[in-house]
Amino acid sequence: MSNVQRTWTINGKQTKLRFPPGRRLLDILRDDLGLTGSKESCGEGECGACTVLVNKEPVVSCILPAGQLVNGTDILTIEGIEKKRIGRVIQQAFLECGAVQCGFCIPGMVVAAYALLIKNPKPSVRAIREALAGNLCRCTGYTKIIQAVKLAATRMPQRK
Amino acid sequence: MSKRSKKSDRWVGQSMIRVDGDGKVRGRTQYLNDIPYKGVWQGVVVRTPVAHGILKAVTLDPAFDWSQVVVATAEDIPGENIVHMHDRTMPLLAAVGGEIKYRGEPVAVVAAPTLALAQEAARHITVTADELPALLTLPEAIKIYKSAPKKFDTMQSKRIVKGDVAKGFALADEIITGEYWAGHQEQLYLENQGVVVFPQQDGSIWAEGSLQCPYFPVHELNDALRLPPEKIRVRQTPVGGAFGGKEEYPTMLIGYAALPALKSGKPVKITYERNEDILFTPKRHPVWVRYKTGVKKDGTFTAIECDFVIDGGAYLTISDVVMFRGILHCALAYRCENVIVRGEVARTHSFPSGAFRGFGAPQAVWGMESHLDVVAARLGKKPDELRLQLHARPGDITPTGQVLSSENGSTACLQLALKRSDFARKLKESSRGRLKRGQQKLRGIGMSFFGHGAAFTGDGEANFKAKGRVELALLEDGQPGVNIRVSSVEMGQGVHTVLTQIVADAMQIGPERIRYPMADTGLVPNSGPTVASRTTMVVGNVVHRAAGDLKAQLEAFAAEKFFKGKACELRTGKFVVKGTRAIPFAKVAQAMLTECQNISGKFEFLLPPEIQWDQGTFVGDAYPGYSWGVNIAEVEVDALTCEVAVKRVAAVFDIGTVINPVSASGQVEGGLTQALGYTIMEKLGTGKDGLYDATRLQTYIIPTILDVPEFDVSFVEYPYSFAPPGAKGLGEIPMDGLAPAIANAIAAATGRRINQIPITPEVIYQALHADSKGTP
Repeated sequence: MSNVQRTWTINGKQTKLRFPPGRRLLDILRDDLGLTGSKESCGEGECGACTVLVNKEPVVSCILPAGQLVNGTDILTIEGIEKKRIGRVIQQAFLECGAVQCGFCIPGMVVAAYALLIKNPKPSVRAIREALAGNLCRCTGYTKIIQAVKLAATRMPQRK
Repeated sequence: MSKRSKKSDRWVGQSMIRVDGDGKVRGRTQYLNDIPYKGVWQGVVVRTPVAHGILKAVTLDPAFDWSQVVVATAEDIPGENIVHMHDRTMPLLAAVGGEIKYRGEPVAVVAAPTLALAQEAARHITVTADELPALLTLPEAIKIYKSAPKKFDTMQSKRIVKGDVAKGFALADEIITGEYWAGHQEQLYLENQGVVVFPQQDGSIWAEGSLQCPYFPVHELNDALRLPPEKIRVRQTPVGGAFGGKEEYPTMLIGYAALPALKSGKPVKITYERNEDILFTPKRHPVWVRYKTGVKKDGTFTAIECDFVIDGGAYLTISDVVMFRGILHCALAYRCENVIVRGEVARTHSFPSGAFRGFGAPQAVWGMESHLDVVAARLGKKPDELRLQLHARPGDITPTGQVLSSENGSTACLQLALKRSDFARKLKESSRGRLKRGQQKLRGIGMSFFGHGAAFTGDGEANFKAKGRVELALLEDGQPGVNIRVSSVEMGQGVHTVLTQIVADAMQIGPERIRYPMADTGLVPNSGPTVASRTTMVVGNVVHRAAGDLKAQLEAFAAEKFFKGKACELRTGKFVVKGTRAIPFAKVAQAMLTECQNISGKFEFLLPPEIQWDQGTFVGDAYPGYSWGVNIAEVEVDALTCEVAVKRVAAVFDIGTVINPVSASGQVEGGLTQALGYTIMEKLGTGKDGLYDATRLQTYIIPTILDVPEFDVSFVEYPYSFAPPGAKGLGEIPMDGLAPAIANAIAAATGRRINQIPITPEVIYQALHADSKGTP
């Protein structure tokens, strides 16, 4: 099939791309754009290591045919998260709570936590668990990740 | 950089933020697949289609264009077709005419400039074999073990004998037996296995990859590649989880990649995707363990007889030591004068089993701690009271004849865990299979108690002599600092952080002046593999001493050059002599770096001479030190669906000195969660075709954030004083004991004893609806 052309906003920057419509979003990010912060682990949308935000919704980019994303799509990856104040708050909370071990799941985890907190700045533990249920971690037992998201929530900028 | 409490001027004991954390939270840490290598070819492994047979031919399709591809088979192995692990039996690739011993045994490696081309080429290779009957599972092997022991095919046997069990059984009021089974478990590190091999002009190789033990390939591939150790250089890349899975297996991957690399002169990378990683890398050993125990009415053991058989798969690899660790933990935790433990490594035609956090100990503890509750129930005793009565404590003698020193906090662990969990009351309230009016869930509480030998078995550490160096260097900012040079690998467990804390205290400089570069066998002395809960205890002591050595050298230099020969001390970043002005570390270090070369402190690990071990008879001091733990699990079992929810786990551990409390509790919570999966979720068997029957994350289910209980983690500190700062093993013990605690809780909830893991809802359903009642 012939290539398609798309213009998306990736981490705040307008980006023009040509690719076969079935190409996975993850491959475009990692291989074409060098944004290797998003990881591939299971390759079938089960583990969440490749989570990015598409129009503020978390998606698993390893099973998303990128041709589905229309012009003007807004994509935020872990590389763009740290430019956001809330993103930095989350990253700092993960460090302080000891929520990071091997680190391989962490970019996806931080992106998923960001997606939660921009919508729900004071989430319950139940809401945190539900928001991160698609992100597997084999190291931490999740407890400190929950603590980190709770801590980040206490430091969210106040809405007026 | 990090928080340190005002009260202490020591870094040890503080929850310093991990030194590798920043790159990880920002997605900047480059794991193997994130590194933009140029000109690297991609390798694909071609495998056998049968579990047992004779390899007839490896045929390349003549219609395919092979000009852009390199194919290596056993004929391309430069030396002898052998990988030297704990024995010398396993070939690197199955050879034509040779015996295929497991499904998926590699026969060829294809490499090409792109992965797509390598995969396409691999599809044009036909592997033919004459199939032979295969023995695929541990239950089949155990049938033979019980009915025709002489025909039982074992790769390694070992006995532990203490006292005389015949006499012990004669003294018993009751003899109680039980058999316990556990299945495979996949490590499921999130980063799949991968290595890249760069052939060098002088015929040597340089390998990089996600691995725990950089020196293993250096010493295991010499025969096959016909390269001496100094011609195999291995460097770790950041490791996205390992848990033992990247202990012995990366040697194989480096061997596979080296063949087409050496043949073509091109660097070759092999990375597995998840399906291949689950199907064709080692798993935790399945186990069958049988206890026969003689007990007095008052609860004392008069004899413990135990058979411990693990499924080693087709080749021994490292299974002998897994079995050794297993049998050393089968009767470790309780007082008994008469003990016999028999260990075997069954040979089957399945993928060779391998290292996984705990290394035989979780299998042993699963059996013993399930059985202890069976004994308690038979005697009408409470499981907590029986454990308090019988548990091993200072002054007691282990099955191998080791006297437990005062540095064993077993009693303190039990007392604290029982108190924190309110065990006695909750046990009384357990459902025992009866739903109260209005209840939908059966409730129960269960416990386990266990020790874990820290570091290599016996005098292994004394023979190995772990080496480490702390060297003075200019850091990337041009200012002086130190590099920690050891082969111990950061794989998430936090070693880069805790060894930095230890060196900061020993050197009396801030952690911001300390670096811990990735392990590279070209640059670091051999501090040993990153295994066996040994790193903080043994290598932590090595860097503590090496840093002390370097500090003394700096102080001598400073005294001579800056203090007119007066002895000075480096204290919190400054050289001080009473009555003179202090001089900062950087000034002295800079001067020393200008005047001298290769300034470093060194140390080789020693054991006290009184540690005695006989590897032949398994008599003596089995481990330099022991960690201890108690797990208490509270469960709910849905009476209708038979689903188990673990609601709360109280865990208390004695791991000696706690170097970093947050990091330590993170290890515990992570290990407990792996153990939770092992106990109730992670089901994996060998199917009829010789392949594992769960092959991806849709079918191999691990705990998610919705499955984890509330964890209540505490530590009691009984430091290992011989090796300051006194840590004992931590990495593995969190994996050891949760399975029996949950099974015991399920027994308290349902009134049924389940003696196999994983305990899936199907298993509970069968237990609840079986005609004959199980032993509660």
